[in-house]
Amino acid sequence: MSVPDYLQCAEDHQTVLVVVQPVGIVPEDQFFKIYKRIASVSQVSIRDSQRLLYIRYRHHYLPENNEWGDFQTHRKVVGLISITTCGPAKEWPQTAERFHGQKEVYSSTLYDSRLLVFGLQGEIAEQQRTDVAFYPSFEDCSDVEKRVEDFVESIFIVLESKRLDRATDKSGDKIPLLCVPFEKKDFVGLDTDSRHYKKRCQGRMRKHVGDLCLQAGMLQDALVHYHMAVELLRGVNDFLWLGAALEGLCSASVIFHYPGGTAGKTAGRKPSISQPADAGKRHRPGEHMILGALTANGISADTSTEIGRAKNCLSPEDIIEKYKEAISYYGKYKNAGVIELEACVKAVRVLAIQKRAREASEFLQNAVYINLGQLSEEEKIQRYSILSELYELIGFHRKSAFFKRVAAMQCVAPTIPEPGWRACYKLLLETLPGYSLSLDPKDFSKGTHRGWAAVQMRLLHELVYASRRMGNPGLSVRHLSFLLQTMLDFLSDQEKKEVTQSLENYTSKCPGGMEVITLPDGLKLPPVPFTKLPIVRSVKLLNLPVSLRPHKVKGLLGQNMSTASPFIYSPIIMHNRGEERCKKIDFQWVQGDVCEVQLMVYNPMPYELRVENMGLLTSGVEFESLPAALSLPAESGLYPVTLVGVPRTAGNITVNGYHTSVFGVTSDCLLEGLAGVKSSGCLVEVIPSLPRLQLSTSLPRSEHHLMKELSSTVSVQLFNGETQQLTITLENIGSEQIETLELTSKIVNTKEKVFGEFLSWELEEASSHLPLKPGQAVTLAVSIKVKLDFSGQESLLQDLNDDGISVTGLPISSPLRQVLKPRSETKPVSSESGKAEYSHVKTLEAVLNFKYSGGPGKVEGYYRELSLGVHVDVEPSVFFTRVSTLPATSTRQCHLLLDIFNPTEHELTVSAKNNQDLVLHASECQRMAIQVDKFDFESLPQPDQETARFTNPKQLEEERQHAQGCQINSKLGICWSIISFQCACCSVTMK
Amino acid sequence: MAVCIAVIAKENYPLYIRSVPTQNELKFHYTVHTSLDVVEEKISAVGKSLGDQRELYLGLLYPTEDYKVYGYVTNSKVKFVIVVDSSNTSLRDNEIRSMFRKLHNSFTDVMCNPFHNPGDQIQSKAFDGIVSGMMVQTG
Repeated sequence: MSVPDYLQCAEDHQTVLVVVQPVGIVPEDQFFKIYKRIASVSQVSIRDSQRLLYIRYRHHYLPENNEWGDFQTHRKVVGLISITTCGPAKEWPQTAERFHGQKEVYSSTLYDSRLLVFGLQGEIAEQQRTDVAFYPSFEDCSDVEKRVEDFVESIFIVLESKRLDRATDKSGDKIPLLCVPFEKKDFVGLDTDSRHYKKRCQGRMRKHVGDLCLQAGMLQDALVHYHMAVELLRGVNDFLWLGAALEGLCSASVIFHYPGGTAGKTAGRKPSISQPADAGKRHRPGEHMILGALTANGISADTSTEIGRAKNCLSPEDIIEKYKEAISYYGKYKNAGVIELEACVKAVRVLAIQKRAREASEFLQNAVYINLGQLSEEEKIQRYSILSELYELIGFHRKSAFFKRVAAMQCVAPTIPEPGWRACYKLLLETLPGYSLSLDPKDFSKGTHRGWAAVQMRLLHELVYASRRMGNPGLSVRHLSFLLQTMLDFLSDQEKKEVTQSLENYTSKCPGGMEVITLPDGLKLPPVPFTKLPIVRSVKLLNLPVSLRPHKVKGLLGQNMSTASPFIYSPIIMHNRGEERCKKIDFQWVQGDVCEVQLMVYNPMPYELRVENMGLLTSGVEFESLPAALSLPAESGLYPVTLVGVPRTAGNITVNGYHTSVFGVTSDCLLEGLAGVKSSGCLVEVIPSLPRLQLSTSLPRSEHHLMKELSSTVSVQLFNGETQQLTITLENIGSEQIETLELTSKIVNTKEKVFGEFLSWELEEASSHLPLKPGQAVTLAVSIKVKLDFSGQESLLQDLNDDGISVTGLPISSPLRQVLKPRSETKPVSSESGKAEYSHVKTLEAVLNFKYSGGPGKVEGYYRELSLGVHVDVEPSVFFTRVSTLPATSTRQCHLLLDIFNPTEHELTVSAKNNQDLVLHASECQRMAIQVDKFDFESLPQPDQETARFTNPKQLEEERQHAQGCQINSKLGICWSIISFQCACCSVTMK
Repeated sequence: MAVCIAVIAKENYPLYIRSVPTQNELKFHYTVHTSLDVVEEKISAVGKSLGDQRELYLGLLYPTEDYKVYGYVTNSKVKFVIVVDSSNTSLRDNEIRSMFRKLHNSFTDVMCNPFHNPGDQIQSKAFDGIVSGMMVQTG
C-alpha cells in the first residue's frame, strides 16, 4: 500500500467502501453525473433496526490498498457498482463479461455488486435481475438512488452476518491469523500452537470484529471490542495491530464525540438524521453515569454487558494520547508509512475540531517526516498540498502558505518532463494570503511597506516566472510591475536593474496597461500604476503667461467674491489637505490656450529613467493633453517637469493625475492615491476662448526688464529733446476676432520730471480695422519724446569751469536747461566717452498697455492685456550755461545772450528764429545772441479759481513756470541738430 | 551558536532579521516567518488562561531537521525568535533564556532612543553588536 488517502478522517472508519466504475466506454460527464447521484446515498437507515450504514464511494481504488482490508475493514472494497452503456443487444454478453472481470479484481473482499446498464433496450432489458439494472438512457433513470439503497441493504446483510459470525467465535477455536500483506512471509513456519500465537490471533480478530461493529453501526460494541483487542495485543507486543486497535478506539470515540464529523466538508453526513438514531441507541439518559468505570482489566469477554457504556469511550484528551501511541507503533514499521500518515491526518482533523492547533502542528510535523519511499512527483504535490490544507485548518496560515509554495515548486520540478506551470501558478496565488500579500497596489500606498519583504519578493518573482512559462506575458508584466512598484525600497541596485530589464523584455512582447486582468478562476488583478517611477513630490498648476492671462472686467458682478468666510482676514487656516486639493485655484485658464502643470519629480532608480508619453489626466472639461517624454538622470534630485495641454471647452477642470509610460508599461497615476504629494489645488476654471495678440515693434527688443510681467520691452537711446517714432505691429495670432482694443501708457519708476508727453499715439487709425480677424495685423505709430531736466548736475558745471569758461554776470538762479537730440543708433564712441559721460545718462521707462478682447471670452466679460515696456536712455544734448540779456536797438526788443555748451561728441548746429546757425564742435561752448521781442509774463492766462483752490501753492508755481517756459519757447524756437545724424528736431525749454 | 536572530513587530512584520552569512538567508526568513504561526498560537493560548501574568519566554517553537526555533514575546507583543542549530545539543534552556533576556534589554535600549521611530527597522549598532555576539559566541 503506497498511496495514502489524505482526505481520510476518523469517521471514515465506520463506512463501507463501494467502488463505482465505468465498464467499457462511458462518457465521462455522464459517468460523473450518475456517480454523483449514487454518492448522494451516503447513509442508509437499515430497516428493522435503528442502525445507520455509512457508505464511502470511490471511482478509483487501487486493488493494492484493498489488500489491507483485513487490517482496517473500511479499506476493504465490499461493493462494486459498474456503469456501462450498451447499444445493440449483441454487445451485451461482452459487457457482462467485462463486468465479471471487474468483479474479479476485488473478488476477495466483495460482498455484492451491481451493474447499471444504460441504453440497452429490448428483450434482455426486460429480464428481472437483481445484480443488473437497465435504463433506457442516462436521463431516464429515476430510481438509481432506490437501487443503490437496496444494494446497500444487501451489503448490510452480508456485513451483519459476518459480524455475528466473527463475534461469536469462541476463543478456543481455531482463529485464523489476519495479517497485512507485508507480514505474510514473516509468519511462515511459525508455531501456530503457541499461546503467544493464539493470543495474537485473538487480538487481531477482536480488532477486526471491532471494525465490523463500527461499520455496522454498533458503536458501543465496537468500543468494547477495541478495548479487548488493545489488551490482547499489548500482551503479545503486536505493535502494528495494537496501533490499529488503538486507532479504532480513537475513531469510535471521535464518532461518538463529534457526530458532526471532523472532515468539515464531508457532505454525506447528515447529522440531523443520524442524531436521533444515535441518541436512541447510545444515550439512554444517565446510563453511562450509572455503569461503573471500565478499567483496562475490567473488560470481559462478554460484550453484551458492556453495550451502551459511554465510559468505554475515550475522552477528547485521551483520543489524542491514543492517536499518538498508535502513530508511534505504526512508526515502527516501514511498510506502514501510509497508515501512519493517514493516522496523522486523521488526528490533525480531530485536533482542529478541538482547537488544539499546537498539538496538531506536532502531528503534522511528524507527518512531514514520514517516509513513504519513492513518491511520484504527483504524489509529492498532493502531499504538500494536503499538508498546506491541514495547516490552514488549524490556523497556521504561514506554514500553510509555505507548504503550498513547496507544492507549487514541486509542480515544476526539473524532474518532471512536462512542468505544470499553470498548476504552479494557481498554487502560488493561493499562498498570497499566507504571506499577507495582496495584489492590489492600493494596499501598499499607505506609508512604508511593512511585511516580509524578502519572502514576498521571492514569491512575486516566482509568480512572474510561472506566469511567463504559462505563456501569459500579460500576467508576468502585471506581476513584475507590482514587484517593482511595491518592493522598490527593498530591491538592491542590481536587482532593480534586473527587474527593469526583464520588464522591458516582457513589455516588448506585451505592453502593460491599466486594464484589470481577470484570471480564469475569477481572481482580479488590479492595474499597477508606477507612482514611484518617477516619484512625484508636488503638483502645481501654472498660471498662463502674463500676456495671456484673462482679466475680468470690473463691475460685471463680483463673481470671484470669496464666500468661504465672513471675515476679511482670519488667522485660522484650515489645514486639510483633502480640502486643499478640491480648492479652486484663483486664476483661470483659457479655452484653446496651452495650459501648464508643473510636477516636481525624482528618479529613485540608480540609472537613467526614460519616461515616455507623460501627460495629464483631467476631468471636467474636454482636455487635449500634449504628452511629453523625459529622461531623468540616475538618482536625480527634484526635477521640474512641465506637462501641457489644451482645454477644448470651458468649465471647471480638475487635474486628477498623470499618465506615464515607463519600461513599456503605461500607468495612470491618480493624485489622490499618492502619498506625500504637495499640491496647492487641482481645480481651475477654464473660461471661454479669447483672442491672442502678438506684438512686434520697429525698435529692437531690449534685455531690460522693467517689470516681470512685461511680455517684451524695447529700448532706445535718445538725446534729450529728441523724438522717435515707434511702429508697433499688432497681429491677431489667436483663433478669435479681436473686437475691442484699448491702449494706455504709464511711466514707471522715474523720479525725473518729464516735460510734455512722453508717449503719444493715434489709436483711431488702428481701431478702424477692428474687428481684427485671426491672422490679420494692424500697425500703430507711437512717438517717443523725451524732455528731461538735466540741470543741476554739478559735475557738468565743473566740466565747464574746467574748460576755463567763467560763469559770470547774472547769477543763474534757475538751473541750466539743456536740449537733447534724439538718436536711434548706438553711439559708436560710447566706450571712449568714459564713465563721466555715462553717468549723465538718465533713464525713462514706460509701459504701453494694450487691452483687447473678443470672441466668447468677451461675452463672459474677460479681456487680455498685452504690455510693452519702453526703455529710453536719455543723454544730455545742449546746455545753456549762462543766460543774460542786452538791450537791443529797439526798446521793444532785446538781445538774449546764451552760452551754449555741446556735451556730445558730435558736431551740432543750433538755430533760433531769425538767426543764423551756430556750429558747435564736440565739447565746445559758444555764445549766441538772439534778438527777441520783449514780453510780459503777466499776460499769461491765470489758472482759474476752481483749480487753484484744490491744488497746493507749489503745484501752482510749477504750473506757472511751465506756462512761462512754453511762452519763451514759442518765442525763441531754438533748435539744434547733430549734423551727422541729419536730424531736425528741435526743442528748447527754459525757465 | 544562534544561526538566526529576528525581531518581529506586533503586527508581525520583521523589524530586524539577521542570520549567519554563510547560509541561505531566505531560508531563515521562511523559518522565522512560519514560526510566527506557533508564536501566535502560544500567545492566544496563554492569553486566555493567565492574563498578564505570563511568561515571556515561549520555549521551543518547533524543531526542524536542522534547526530548533525558540520564541519570546515581550509584553508589547514584540516577538524575538532565535534559531539554533539542532546539532548543538549542549545548549540548555537556561542559556536560551538568558540570550532572550539580553536581546530584550538591548531592544529596550533601542526603543529608548528618542530618534528611533517605533515600527521602523532596527538599525542600531549597539543592537547589532549584541546580536553578533550571540551568533558568534560558540559557533
